[in-house]
Amino acid sequence: MLSISHLSVNYGAVQALDDVSLEVPRGEVTAVIGANGAGKSTLLRTLAGLVKPGAGSATLDGSEILGRKAEDVVRMGVSLVPEGRSTVPELTVDENLRLGGLWRSRADRAGRQALFYEMFPVLSERRSMRADTLSGGERQQLAIGRALMSAPECLLLDEPSLGLAPLIVAQILDLVKSLAAEANLAVLLVEQNAVTALMAANTAVVLNLGQVVMSGSAADIASHEELRHAYLGY
Amino acid sequence: MGNFVDYLLGGLGGGMIIALMALALVLTWRATRVVNFAQVGQAMFTTFIALSIQTLTGSWFVALIGAIIAGAILGVIVQYLVLRPVRRTDTSGAIIATFGVLIALQAAAGMIWGGDGQAYPQPFGNTAITLFGREWPLSVYDLVVLGFGVLLVIGLTLLFTRTSLGLAMRATAFNPEVARLSGVRVSRTLTIGWAIAGIVGAVAGVLVAPTSAISPNSFDILLVFAFTAAVIGGLDSLIGAVALGIGTGLILSVVSGYSDSSNAPVVALVLLALNLAIKPDGIFGHNKSRSV
Repeated sequence: MLSISHLSVNYGAVQALDDVSLEVPRGEVTAVIGANGAGKSTLLRTLAGLVKPGAGSATLDGSEILGRKAEDVVRMGVSLVPEGRSTVPELTVDENLRLGGLWRSRADRAGRQALFYEMFPVLSERRSMRADTLSGGERQQLAIGRALMSAPECLLLDEPSLGLAPLIVAQILDLVKSLAAEANLAVLLVEQNAVTALMAANTAVVLNLGQVVMSGSAADIASHEELRHAYLGY
Repeated sequence: MGNFVDYLLGGLGGGMIIALMALALVLTWRATRVVNFAQVGQAMFTTFIALSIQTLTGSWFVALIGAIIAGAILGVIVQYLVLRPVRRTDTSGAIIATFGVLIALQAAAGMIWGGDGQAYPQPFGNTAITLFGREWPLSVYDLVVLGFGVLLVIGLTLLFTRTSLGLAMRATAFNPEVARLSGVRVSRTLTIGWAIAGIVGAVAGVLVAPTSAISPNSFDILLVFAFTAAVIGGLDSLIGAVALGIGTGLILSVVSGYSDSSNAPVVALVLLALNLAIKPDGIFGHNKSRSV
């Protein structure tokens, strides 16, 4: 389980996150929703070690992950898929996957890679093609695959649905749900598209201006009309 | 016509040396987006070290190994001490700083080894090869230079395409954030890139030294040629650097043959200007814009 408690982050004078606490249990998808600028991406980037935390703590199964370098956080089992189909377009599909598990043993890497190609036969056929020849949905699958190569306990997903067609979004979110359930991952999903996120998530947290304004089961939050009007704008 | 072919062949050895120096420039550019103008200064310094080792041991080969080790160490030192603090602000500051390092290295070499040109021993025959009843404008030494160049290029290609370190280096060059998120120790990888560039430059220095005297400033003109080749080759492309390096050598040799060798730098600069006017991305470069 990933536990975040009293996390604050400042960009100069701007407080991007203010005393955020939340828990991400294993086997479940926890969604963080909120308007643009609510601090959703900052939360994920801080957890992944790309942004310096101001105060607070975040532990994965008891070990502190805050304040470490990104390359160490991933070794501890927390893997981020950043916004914007984060593959390396100049590398091939196969190289993108290898990259994700470069620090692991060769045998381990090969096993995970085989598993991934079994799940995505289309990407298997295109393994020697450059990532920028793939469609948007395929690139997002590859980006998630790269993150999974590190054998994470916890997966952080930053707007995986961004810019994808609705049908593809549904596919990606199904994949995320089944990863949480079958691989027993703790998944923290950040989405601006609240409707989509709430369909995929078990529980959800609403962020506004860096603060948690509500948390609860995804179904409760989806049916909370005032909240929708106030923070989600629909 | 016979002359023309002779001039071309005569430019091969020099072209390979330009290619190696261009390769060193491209390696640091790919790793850190910094054109390292100190590269020729580092090569000059390591060649002086090689000359000292050569004088001490009498072995050309031991001196070459010494230059390679010194080149790697110097590459790391230049990156750590000078570029890391400057890079925190911006890369153009770092590029200016490499000029500072170049001047400092030249001054230091002048103080240690003196400012006058010193001869570097010629390890292999420098006489023209006679084959098929005629003399060719190539010496055994030219073939040695070409051999080393080909070996280095093959070695680097294998490193980049077949090894985990090579994949980490390419990923770091293209997208450092994704590399870090994948667990690549990015700053260490960049440092290794500078060390490898230092090695390639050091080899180029030792190879070019016997063809002219070595002094603190003797490689300056090599910087002009190598920079031209690297930029026209696209700055990002290893193949481009090698192809254009050799190409530049051939063109310069032809120009020197038909007119005067003092015209060569002018021709190099004209080519550079034409390239920047017509195809600024370079022949082997590709437009870096990306769709998100």
